[in-house]
Formats: sequence, structure tokens, C-alpha cells
Amino acid sequence: MMEVKSEEKDESNERLWSWGAGTDGQLGNGQLQDEQIPQQLSLSSHSHISSLACGAAHVIALTSGGKVLSWGRGNSGQLGHGEVVSNMLYPKAVTSLDEHFITHVSAGWSHSGFVSDTGSLFTCGDGSFGQLGHGDYASHSSPIKVSFFVDQQVAGVACGMRHSLVLLKGCLLNQVYGFGSGKRGQLGVSKDRIKSINLPKVISGFEDVEIVGIAANGDHSAALSVDGHLFTWGRGFKGFEDSHIPQSLNSTLKFTKATLGWNHGLAMTGEGEVYMLGGNHLGVLSDLHSVCQANQLTVDSREANLEKVPGLDGTKVTDIATGAEHSVLVTDNGEIKTWGWGEHGQLGLGDADDRTSPVTVRVGYDLDEAASTRVYCGSGFTFALTKF
Amino acid sequence: MSYDDVEIEDMEWNEELQSYTYPCPCGDLFQITKEDLKLGEEIARCPSCSLYITVIYNMEDFLGDSNQNRTNKPLQPSKQQTVTVA
Repeated sequence: MMEVKSEEKDESNERLWSWGAGTDGQLGNGQLQDEQIPQQLSLSSHSHISSLACGAAHVIALTSGGKVLSWGRGNSGQLGHGEVVSNMLYPKAVTSLDEHFITHVSAGWSHSGFVSDTGSLFTCGDGSFGQLGHGDYASHSSPIKVSFFVDQQVAGVACGMRHSLVLLKGCLLNQVYGFGSGKRGQLGVSKDRIKSINLPKVISGFEDVEIVGIAANGDHSAALSVDGHLFTWGRGFKGFEDSHIPQSLNSTLKFTKATLGWNHGLAMTGEGEVYMLGGNHLGVLSDLHSVCQANQLTVDSREANLEKVPGLDGTKVTDIATGAEHSVLVTDNGEIKTWGWGEHGQLGLGDADDRTSPVTVRVGYDLDEAASTRVYCGSGFTFALTKF
Repeated sequence: MSYDDVEIEDMEWNEELQSYTYPCPCGDLFQITKEDLKLGEEIARCPSCSLYITVIYNMEDFLGDSNQNRTNKPLQPSKQQTVTVA
């Protein structure tokens, strides 16, 4: 239900909108300013975007033909264009990956990851915390193959603020790796405090489960098992203590997708219900004054930190996304709803106000007709990709 | 209210901005200069939004630097001890 494939549809009936923080050109509309209402982008020059990944202020787009485009901030080489640029206002091809068919992309704060159909991993951008995984702390403006994984099949990559996670396929004993900054436990590779590592290290604790999805943002990490169990590690949510090893969320719910912000996360069930990690931190920033109250709680009560997103009245949800401090979801009747921090217009509601529960965004089209709508968040901005 | 408490060792020195920086959730950077730190300022602000963080650091670490540079200031009379706190 959630993974609607629409390759058979006419791909010219694809629409892309962006809104929120835009001062690095990350909205892809040729402007260097914030936008409080959705901006429809022209897709004529670059075809068939199948998915997006959004970082601090840059965006990586993957086409259905396995090509990669990027735009926005490029001051650390995170765009992968082979040069350091302050920003790129329009989508530009990452030509050095042309000989590969890219199937998966991820954007961290200022680094980027790319996975090819043959299971190779490439990274570029800021490497000063070891988050590129090349065994040093160098930065790169072109995607470089991570040689650590040359004999393995990489299935996915997730880039956080200063760390990266990698999921391997067909490798049950060593499924998930971490590298980069580990100070808050986000690498999950050791109970001891690790400042940073620049080569991938396996994360233990997944020997008896099959991991099918990984997520990273801020100093948080998460993994989802094939039977719907959610594991989190790294910085604790809402005053909970940090965890240096993966902790299973003690819940009977079966999750199919999880996304992370800097102080919260969202998890969606197969029934289209959405839960928020981070307790009643619903307005996210609106509710900051209560953040410290849970300090005395321990990791053991992490599951108490999960609450159903209010105001949906049983409406099923088909996609979720989280920015640093805002959240987005898509309902099965095609509505895009946002809540959280709104100062840069990242909620797309025409103002800079925060919202404590989901509010419908108007994009000027009846999305009920859409075959699929997917949403993606950068730190302070949002994208919606619709196929009719 | 402060968005977060961040240790100075987790901030990055940015040559271009001449400031210590840390990522802001809006996509920009929280910034604080060495001069601010010498003065005991502990708030790093983001130029793009209303958020700010509290920087955890020892003021002494920055004052030492300052004393070396302050050649135009008269030294304490006949005291050879190193000055640790202003």
C-alpha cells in the first residue's frame, strides 16, 4: 500500500513542490529566499525524478534512470559536482556517477551518500568527522567509492549531521555499519564513548533480526526490522539519556517506515497510523520549556516516549518525513499535512507560525487524483513529489 | 529558551566567519566569536533565525590567548604569577 509504484504511468504527469528555508537555493526554484507557500518546480529540463534526499541546505534527486541531480548549498562539496561552490540554484547532474546506475541517495548536514545497483557506496562532502568512511578526515567534492565495502553489497545509506549508517544486503551477521562522529552514541558500534571513527564499523545487536531500513538525522540513528520492530540509538529523545547501542522500542506495533529529526522521530505502521518519538514534544520547538522534565527517566522507559500523532481521526497515512524540527505526512486521500517549527515557512502554510498538530498544505491541485505523493524534508525545508 | 547546550569542543572553527559554529536546525550555523568568548558570552546565535544555543566552555581557555595579545595593557605591578582569571 505505501510503496506505490507508478512506472507505468505517464511520467510527464509528475509534479514537484518545495517550500521553507531557501537562502542557499535548496528549493530549486532559482531563488535565494525562504518561501512560505509551496512553489511548483518546472520539471521539463530534468526528467522522471523517482526520489529525493534533503540535507541541511542541499538536495539530491534520483531519476528513474539511475541518474543523480543535486542543487542548493555546495560549500563542502556535498553536491558532488567536482567543485566547491557556495550554492547551485538549479538542479545539475552529478556526471561523475553517470557510469553507474544509482538506486539510493542520502543527504546529511553537509555530506552525501549514493548507492549503485551493483551495491557500491559513494560519498562526498564534508569529511571532517570521518563521515565519508574513507579512512581519513578529508572532504571530497566528487563522489568517491567507499573501498571498505568493495567485497560487499550495500543496500542503503543514511547520513546524519556528522555520521553515516550503511545497510548491507544478504549479510545477516554484519548488516549495519556506522562511521563519523559518535559522541552521542549515534554510531552504535561500542558501549564506550567514541569521539569519531573514519572507517565503517559493524553495529552489534542485529544478529537475530533482519534489518530492512535505516535512518539518521541530527545525532540520532534508527533501524527497522523486517517484522516491524524499531531500534533507535544515539542522542536520547526529549531528555532521555543517550544510548550507545541500538535499543529496541518495546512496542507491539509493527512499523513499516521511520524517519528522524533532531529531537523527534516519526514511525508509521502498516495500517497507516503514525506515532511520534519524543513524547508530547508535538509542537517540537513550541514545547521546548518541558524538554528538561524527563531527565530523570531512563532508557528502559523509551517506549513511553511514543505517542500517536493527534488530529488525524483515523485517516490513514501513506508517507512521512521529518525535518530538524518539523514533520510532514501524506494521507491516503492525498492531503499533505505539516506541523512543528514554522519560522522559515517549512510548514508551507503561508506564515512563519509553529503548529502543534497536522495542518493541511494547499498546493493548488487536488492530490486525491494523484497516483502517489511522497514527501521529503531538509533541515528547514520541505519537498513534495507527486505522480498523477 | 536556548535550543541546546553545546560544548565548545563540538563546535567547529570557521575561518571565513572567524567564529566557532554549530549546525542550526534551520540549515544555517550558530556562531560565536573568540572575542565574545573572552568576554564570557555563552550565547551563540544563528543569523538566519530566532534560535540560539548555550556554549559550554572555560573562559580561562580564551583569556590566556587574550593576555598574550594585549601588549598595550599595563601588566600587574611586580606580580610574576600567570593571570588565570580576569
